[in-house]
Amino acid sequence: MNKRFLPIAALGVAAALGLTACSGGSGDNGDGGTNAEGQTLTVWIMEGTNPDSDAYFEEVADAFTEKTGAELDVEFVQWADAHDRFVTSIAGGTTPDVAETGTTWTAEFADAGALAPIDEYVAADDLGDDLVEGLVAAGTYDDELYGMPWYAGVRSLVYRSDIFEELGLAAPTTWDEIVAAGDKIKAAHPEMMPFAVPGDAEFGVYPWVWGAGGEVSTLEGDEWVSGMASRESQEGIGFYTGLATEHGFSSAGATTWKETDVLDNFAQGNVAMALMGSWTPAAIVEKNAELEGKFAATPIPGKDGGIAPSVLGGSHLSMFETAENKDLAWEFIKLMTTGDFAKQWGDETGYFPGQTSLLDEAIASDDPLVRPFAQQMVEGGGTPPVTPKFGAVQAKKTTNTAIQAILSGQKSVEQALTDAAAEMDEIMNG
Amino acid sequence: MSNTLQVPTAAPGASAPRAAGGAARKSLLTRSRPWLLLAPALAVLAVLLLWPLVRVLLFSLQDYGLREIVSGEPNWIGLANYGEIFTSPELYTVVLPNTVGFAVLAVAGTVALGTAVAVLMASLGGFWRTVVGSAIMIAWAMPAVTGTYVWIWIFDADRGIVNETLQALGLQDEPVNWFTNRYTFYGIVLLNVIHHGFPFVAITILAGLLGVPKEMLEAAEMDGAGPWRRFWRIIVPNLKQVFAVVIILSTIWDFKVFAQVYLMPGGAGSNREALNLGVWSYVESFGQNRYGFGSAIAVLLTLVLLGITVVYVRTMLKEEEL
Repeated sequence: MNKRFLPIAALGVAAALGLTACSGGSGDNGDGGTNAEGQTLTVWIMEGTNPDSDAYFEEVADAFTEKTGAELDVEFVQWADAHDRFVTSIAGGTTPDVAETGTTWTAEFADAGALAPIDEYVAADDLGDDLVEGLVAAGTYDDELYGMPWYAGVRSLVYRSDIFEELGLAAPTTWDEIVAAGDKIKAAHPEMMPFAVPGDAEFGVYPWVWGAGGEVSTLEGDEWVSGMASRESQEGIGFYTGLATEHGFSSAGATTWKETDVLDNFAQGNVAMALMGSWTPAAIVEKNAELEGKFAATPIPGKDGGIAPSVLGGSHLSMFETAENKDLAWEFIKLMTTGDFAKQWGDETGYFPGQTSLLDEAIASDDPLVRPFAQQMVEGGGTPPVTPKFGAVQAKKTTNTAIQAILSGQKSVEQALTDAAAEMDEIMNG
Repeated sequence: MSNTLQVPTAAPGASAPRAAGGAARKSLLTRSRPWLLLAPALAVLAVLLLWPLVRVLLFSLQDYGLREIVSGEPNWIGLANYGEIFTSPELYTVVLPNTVGFAVLAVAGTVALGTAVAVLMASLGGFWRTVVGSAIMIAWAMPAVTGTYVWIWIFDADRGIVNETLQALGLQDEPVNWFTNRYTFYGIVLLNVIHHGFPFVAITILAGLLGVPKEMLEAAEMDGAGPWRRFWRIIVPNLKQVFAVVIILSTIWDFKVFAQVYLMPGGAGSNREALNLGVWSYVESFGQNRYGFGSAIAVLLTLVLLGITVVYVRTMLKEEEL
């Protein structure tokens, strides 16, 4: 049975490979691009980023058909099971032509050989100089660009401006000012958490590492060397966790909070300060309309002032190797990531566009919930190590484990970070 | 299974002398007939069950990641995956103690509670039996994910009802995060899993209880046996097979428990003391795209569960005809 099954399966796979190879070739040789009558482009987009995505993609589909003659088939995928779906479709050779890929996944899929490089297209359309740097860095693997910058957000310090005003406080610009503000809030509003320190949210940790002059992990020659145990990193994380363990600004429950728990509690009015993403203000107001106009953002302070770098989070549009008509796929990517549709997407979602010229418009905004984030993104955008191996570090929750162990008192700051650095080195060089 | 096979193989033996001078072809046909009849079912089983099992076994001998999935090239590394599993210190200090300890307590708790509820239901009248039956069915029908979140809310550190009650009673000064300690963490998982698992046991055992001959129980009562004695001397021996099935199934389920741990605060890997076999294999293999390593763990888990099942079946049902 098995013996008979194998050759048939092999035949099938070979035939499928042969077919895609043929059609891929014909796509390159001409019938792609602007005249693709009768063809269909399949696209996967993550669900939930844009509250009104159906209407948005109807408009995009019309424009796309008008320009190329091809139909657009958009499928919405949940973030939670998107990674699994990509992996299964890569295994089965059923990937879409174009898909939204989270910035930390692009290098991983490129490393596996599932994505097509897009440098030539970007160069041909002269877009290279107008792309946001942090997103280009995250989409580049082995010196080739695999992810077209689409949109991004960044985490900054979000605080309750009504409480700050009531107590005569200004937005903190140094670490000492954070502690001073927290002490005042704690005294005046004991029912509130002055500063939430979640134990299961790694992107809230790295700004303190970078803000103190530390590094997460750097490539030295061929080897990744984690800087999590350095004196600077210990100082930064010691301060961050100290907000909970020494100053009592956080809560016992926050030891196991994720970012979504921070958002929920801020929306319920339990939290006065927290690191939150530029995409959260809309969600906060949606959950609790009473908070509208009662909170503001400010870039994350460095130790003695300045801006501590914060992780850019966002998405690329990536082209898969299985795309039959790559010129057509590029037409779609270009339509989405540049010009009017990119701007509209940014306006509707609260994220920043991946095009520098569009981002500049956002910086000029005087909205207190847009401008600080834009400033953080331009002046203090950081990228975690760009290697598929860092995905493994995230999956193993190396950083989260360290923070949770410190917050729950299982380990000292030094012990927890020494362990984390050793684990990071082991995974990233393995 | 063995019965169905024995009957046809006995038949050719009996008919052989009669056909001795006749065609050997006929006896070959007769002999292979049961296999021919079984062939479609076996073919389906082979495709659906055997082939995936073989694949998992083959993956477990490879360093199999995304790259291998895309290229289709095998990448043999022999028994290195198994070596890594057995030399991993976390396996012995955290993963196995958590998994085995939890499974033992959970199976004991589920079967004990389920049996108690079954005995209660057997002694109830029609109306109240329906009421209790519907109530426990709701616990059973609740999806594991939903149930887990309910328990998380109950034990939430800042606003959970348990902490608020303990503080109101003055038993506790500060809110306690029950999810950061290994034992309280698994205590909550235990509550969750027993609550979700006992209805199946109760219903199954109730079905068995209703089949116990009334005459035996009445006779025992006449002879002066109290309820406790009647339960252990008559009901339990009569329900041996039912208990065996229930214990085996519960053991398999409780060994593999995943969602109820993974969804708990800190249970997805950031609290290393709370790792069990399911979460550990997920974090170490699928989270990091190491499908070969994950397959090796799956193979070992299958072998362990097979072993447990064999031991149970042999000890519980030795005297019976199985």
